[in-house]
Amino acid sequence: MYDKFYRNFAGCNKIEFSGFKLLSMKRFQIILLVLIAIAIGVIVSLVGDFSTYETFASAARHPDKEYRVIGVLDKALPQMYDPQKDPNYFSFYVKDKAGNIRKVVYTGSRPTDIERSEQIVLTGHMQDSVFQCSQILMKCPSKYKNDQVAMGQMSGSNSHSGQ
Amino acid sequence: MDTHYIGEHLLPGQLGHLAVIIAFISSLLATISYVTASVRQKRQLPDPDSWKRLGRIAFIIQVAAVFSIFGLLVWIISQHYFEYYYVWEHTSRDLAPKFLLASIWEGQEGSFLLWAIWHCVLGLVLIRFAKEWESPVMSVISFAQFCIASMLLGIYFWGYRVGSNPFILLRNAGVMPFEPGPDYLSMIRDGAGLNALLQNYWMVIHPPVLFLGFASTLVPFAYAVAGLWMRKYNEWVKPALPWGVFAAMALGTGIMLGGAWAYESLTFGGYWAWDPVENASLVPWLTLVAGIHTLLVYKHTGHSLRASFFFFIITFILVLYSTFLTRSGILGDSSVHAFTDLGMSGQLLVYLFVFLVPAFVLFAYRYKEIPAPRTEEPLHTREFWMFIGSLLLFISAVFISFTTSIPVWNKIFHTNMAEPVDREFHYNRIQIFIAILIALGTAVVQYYKYRQNSWQFLRKKIAVPTVIAGVACMLFGWLSDIHYNRYGLGFLIAIYLLFFVSIYAVVANLGYILIMLKGRLRKAGASVAHAGFALFLIGVVLSSAKKQVISIDRMGMMDVFDFSNKNENPRENVFLPFGVPVQMGDYEVTYAGDSTAPGDPKIYYAVQFADRQHPDKPLFTLYPDILKNTKGMQGYSANPHTEHFWNKDIFTYVNYASNIEPDQSDTARYYTHEMKTGDTVFLQNGYLVLKSLYRNPQNPNYHPEPQDVAVAAELDIFSGGKTYTASPIYYLRGNEQGAVDDTVQPLQLYLHFGGIDPAAKKIMLAVKQIPPRDHFIVLKAYVFPFINIVWLGVVVTILGFLISLVHRIRQQFEKVKNAQKTVYATKDVEV
Repeated sequence: MYDKFYRNFAGCNKIEFSGFKLLSMKRFQIILLVLIAIAIGVIVSLVGDFSTYETFASAARHPDKEYRVIGVLDKALPQMYDPQKDPNYFSFYVKDKAGNIRKVVYTGSRPTDIERSEQIVLTGHMQDSVFQCSQILMKCPSKYKNDQVAMGQMSGSNSHSGQ
Repeated sequence: MDTHYIGEHLLPGQLGHLAVIIAFISSLLATISYVTASVRQKRQLPDPDSWKRLGRIAFIIQVAAVFSIFGLLVWIISQHYFEYYYVWEHTSRDLAPKFLLASIWEGQEGSFLLWAIWHCVLGLVLIRFAKEWESPVMSVISFAQFCIASMLLGIYFWGYRVGSNPFILLRNAGVMPFEPGPDYLSMIRDGAGLNALLQNYWMVIHPPVLFLGFASTLVPFAYAVAGLWMRKYNEWVKPALPWGVFAAMALGTGIMLGGAWAYESLTFGGYWAWDPVENASLVPWLTLVAGIHTLLVYKHTGHSLRASFFFFIITFILVLYSTFLTRSGILGDSSVHAFTDLGMSGQLLVYLFVFLVPAFVLFAYRYKEIPAPRTEEPLHTREFWMFIGSLLLFISAVFISFTTSIPVWNKIFHTNMAEPVDREFHYNRIQIFIAILIALGTAVVQYYKYRQNSWQFLRKKIAVPTVIAGVACMLFGWLSDIHYNRYGLGFLIAIYLLFFVSIYAVVANLGYILIMLKGRLRKAGASVAHAGFALFLIGVVLSSAKKQVISIDRMGMMDVFDFSNKNENPRENVFLPFGVPVQMGDYEVTYAGDSTAPGDPKIYYAVQFADRQHPDKPLFTLYPDILKNTKGMQGYSANPHTEHFWNKDIFTYVNYASNIEPDQSDTARYYTHEMKTGDTVFLQNGYLVLKSLYRNPQNPNYHPEPQDVAVAAELDIFSGGKTYTASPIYYLRGNEQGAVDDTVQPLQLYLHFGGIDPAAKKIMLAVKQIPPRDHFIVLKAYVFPFINIVWLGVVVTILGFLISLVHRIRQQFEKVKNAQKTVYATKDVEV
């Protein structure tokens, strides 16, 4: 009912309600300014949450802080996952971007395609030269990039090096 | 010298290339014709209609070409023509036909095609119904089609490849490890296959709906641009509104179908993870909804027209931005599901700016001309608070975009920032407050009136719903028993606030439908959508704050682990040895067996749940599975399985299992026993008895031949209070001997009948039993309470959009009819 009545006003843009004018001219700008101020404050606090990509060495300087470290799995060094003993303990070695190799302990199960990963992003903190890891993000080539055509006798070139 | 390759089917590819080029050229023609028609229409030059007709013809040819491309793709995929790179890359022979469509949109080309198809459909609807808006609006649509067609072109211009063609041949794609010989096709036995995660029915419907959402944001954008361009600042509003509602409905549905897919088939345990890909599609939805609200304000009061222009323009720009983010590979480090980088990031960026710059330049040029009343809305009006609500939605979008764009900031400012370590809380701690304010707004604001300082009115009408909601809050607040303490008291209070405000919003919106609209649902679209959204928020609060990991491992800690460490991560995986019940939450959970089927690459694990009080009565069995990832040589992906109750879901998936790397697990040996009838052999947990021997056994695995002498051993096995039977077979076929083994799966017992000693009347029975600890799974299990309220809220919200859409469309047709009547009436008078 109100809808219908006021629809007639749509398009008439310059109607002024003199009674409201004084009241409202500034209020809107004030609210807008307050909102913008709050928004800027929030954005600054958002930046405070941002993490940085660190190396093992720089993460070791602040053992109390969580960081992200980018590296690659060192396939030559042993991995350890024995779910019978502990289903939430998986250790492996990662070489970071500075070339340093550290032991990583992940609280969780061994990701099944870790062997295939070409890059690993670890989230966690350093503790006594071991990186305690809460999250592993892997970048696996075949999921994102073109596989080589595997055919006939060539299959199996991508062999599993085991634990 | 052309090599003749054997077995290739080149016709569909040639037709496909032709169709792509036709689509490209005809969309360009349609753009030029429609633009000319618009300019002539605007300047009142002669002949706008013949240009419009030309535009139509070109657009319809373009539609035919786009549908042909799609049809040809379906053809080559369903025929397994692996000579085409797209077919080889995204399908394999064993792919179930129902996933054929999913394989089309696994690749970028296919998803751009999907987008183009929806533009075609929307364009046809506009040609039919847009009347005087057809030329300017279709100019924009045709131009968008031109851009998308260029994405499928795959032609080099001055050394830069424009687009990526889905009909490129495998031997030309540069992935062959050697120079293909004439018979290379005989060596291509199968394609690379569809990614396991996409082999899911949600993946068949989620992308089309999401892309319908993306595509339909173009229409309100096109109307806004057309309104600015034609200087018809008022007239575009009416047709744009239903399109905006439709786009919000489609995009919202698409996003939540994605959530449903993530919940059903991904293992992060939830429907929303604030993943950049998810955020990128949520942000335009927020600005679109903001735009719908400011447009309504304008329609009723004449205020906030400029904001409406801005919101509709930015929505489509944000859709393009999201495409850029997800498809340029820039999210690589931060998202689990960013798509292939096809080397088109430059083109995607051009596509973004080609819309962004002209639209905003036009907006800036016309800004002063756009009517805006000099008065501001008084405080106690509906329009004022609706505008504030839209602003909040926009601010929410800004915050989400800001963090999502970290990779972009890094590129621009050469910084090295990473996503927040605790991503979910990073978003939640801000968005929860915006959600509280929005929910409060949806509860209260509609009780205000447009253009009237209506505080008294509001107070009178909202009193009853407020009291009811207050009682409901106390009741449900007490019942809900939320004590989420991970982020301290402040966040817990915010959770309760959101919970209460959402309850208020549900009650107030129902109240509005009953009191103010007297139950007329036809007009209640907004209230239904708001109530649905509030229900959704209630579901979010309950299912997230009360989400419980029941697979917490309290045993088996390693010595090396430092228990004193306060930063210790939660131990959320449980070791389940075969057949041994383990306590989890209110349940006793048993790994009861696994099964594979020939031709199915999945291994299903039967996980039995029983009540802790009555462990011998299984309540239900879940079958989470592990699937060998078709796209790699050794990767496995876990598929969760969920038991749905009306008030909760039990969500499980297998993180690791002993039999996915079989060479390691099978350490048990066979032990051979010499047995006479009636003899007993002891097992790990019971014993078996040789009951009898009999001739000519029947067994599906035994295929008798005339000269066979076959004997079966009838065995009774007693274990754990249960009796099982087994009948392994031994046979002589001429000089050869053979055996058909039998197994007792629940006991992991393998029985091999190895021979007969006729003199001693004894048989050789080889027995192997895998010890339970060597046969295990590592399981993760969650309880999601009241997650159905989330889905219910989504459905109700969509329903609200639908009601409002139908109402708006009907309104428009009625208006057209009335207008026609008056036109005829005046004509009559003139005559």
